[in-house]
Amino acid sequence: MTTLAQIPVCVEPVPVSHEEGTVGGGIGAILAEIAELLERLARTGEPGAIDLRSLPLSPADRAQLLQALGTGEVDARMQVNGESRIRETAVHGVWWTEHRDSSGELLATLIEVARVPDILIVGEDDLLRGASRLRASLTLQSAAQGESPHG
Amino acid sequence: MARPELEPTIGELLDRQGVSRRSFVKYCTAMASLLALPPHAARAMAEQLRAARRPSVIYLSFQECTGCLESLTRSFAPTIENLIFNVVSLDYDDTLMAAAGSQAEAAREQAMRANYGKYLLVVDGAVPTGDGGVYHCAAGRTGLDILTDCAKGAAAIVCVGTCASFGGLPFADPNPTGARAISTLVPGKPVVNVSGCPPIPEVIAGTLLQYVTSGRVPDLDEHLRPTVFFGNSIHDRCYRRPFYDQGKFAKTFDDEGARNGWCLYELGCKGPTTYNACATIKWNNAVSFPIQSGHPCLGCAEPNFWDRGSFYSPIPSPRWGKAGEVSPVQAAAIAAGAAVAGAAIGVGSVLLGRRRIARHQQEPKSPSGKGNEE
Repeated sequence: MTTLAQIPVCVEPVPVSHEEGTVGGGIGAILAEIAELLERLARTGEPGAIDLRSLPLSPADRAQLLQALGTGEVDARMQVNGESRIRETAVHGVWWTEHRDSSGELLATLIEVARVPDILIVGEDDLLRGASRLRASLTLQSAAQGESPHG
Repeated sequence: MARPELEPTIGELLDRQGVSRRSFVKYCTAMASLLALPPHAARAMAEQLRAARRPSVIYLSFQECTGCLESLTRSFAPTIENLIFNVVSLDYDDTLMAAAGSQAEAAREQAMRANYGKYLLVVDGAVPTGDGGVYHCAAGRTGLDILTDCAKGAAAIVCVGTCASFGGLPFADPNPTGARAISTLVPGKPVVNVSGCPPIPEVIAGTLLQYVTSGRVPDLDEHLRPTVFFGNSIHDRCYRRPFYDQGKFAKTFDDEGARNGWCLYELGCKGPTTYNACATIKWNNAVSFPIQSGHPCLGCAEPNFWDRGSFYSPIPSPRWGKAGEVSPVQAAAIAAGAAVAGAAIGVGSVLLGRRRIARHQQEPKSPSGKGNEE
């Protein structure tokens, strides 16, 4: 016996409700909240989110929740101070968002209920910064061409 | 006003560094998650943080083991570098700063003068008051003298660790040095206690961040601890709670119950009477926490935890029912054989709790809140 993983430890999973099919009571409560947020989004346009950090979910619960929501059509990866992954679930408008730091550690896991998660949208300042960057490079380019004998 | 040329807003600092909106939103999302704010608060937080200016922070250490600072410097999100350089201006910390002796003291005095009435005083360790305070002296002054001097111009005092918050180990019976908690020595000053031995690094960083974001002392419990981190007991948020509700307990450290990950209540777990965020934020970047590692909670974030009898005896009945006693709701659930009710009640109550916190944050703050609050 050389490694920790070889020590036989059996962790008993939290029992699954038989009354609600395959979905445990805790997962059921979260799914009900998501349904409520979806209805609110449709009604008022207001997005919502559930932060999974402070819910007492085991890794098995999380996997079960992810399974209940399924896999959707969009899978976006964002490289900003570490990777973020934003996946649409099989339920349209429900996104599973994971933010990681540069060493790959999980910073936050959210279930977002939105048409498009806010973080994917380009900010106005960033648009203007992008435009001025392109203008600056065009100016540099034309200046360089002006100096060139073939210009 | 004192140093306008030195004081760009945090947003201006970030712009200079070329930090994009997405990057900042991601940062604030992680922070909002850490602070247990409603997720939609991340956007408001981003706006407030961008407009805020970094407060000057003076960090004093008294009767302590430096475990709290060790904890803070192992903070993962935000990293201590991030916190120090982007969110606060750490102007004095005799353990971390390069300067020493009279140069270090001069830096402290300069920062106190320039930011009088505005700086944040962070304290770890209890202050000995016995025999004229001789049990802690630095730079030729007693700890009590240094604390009194530094507290005068502080906007607020953040006590990091159980020693600063409640006296901790130096205060434990028979308390030979006359150690006292900081809140008892700085009358009239707003005090925030971030207890724990040590406190969770994210809780220390989060409390400082929350102060910078909102510019005021957060909502506090009866022990002056931020309710956002200390609002729930370890027991209420424990992933082993369903086993408690089912009456499944480990009786020794190597029995079947222990191997199956059952509730550690009968092995002396202080989770039911301890308020902290260990069960949710966890330790070492959310790897685990004592109960998850198979050890009962010691209750280190509570006053007098060292003097409350054995760590391995169940909590006495006057404080928390009888061993294995359950609430009527839980009893009914067990009687009905609905083993899952515990989990359902657990998650349901967490969701309700979050709604309560969200509602509380939306309500205007009562000026007649806690005694020590601003």
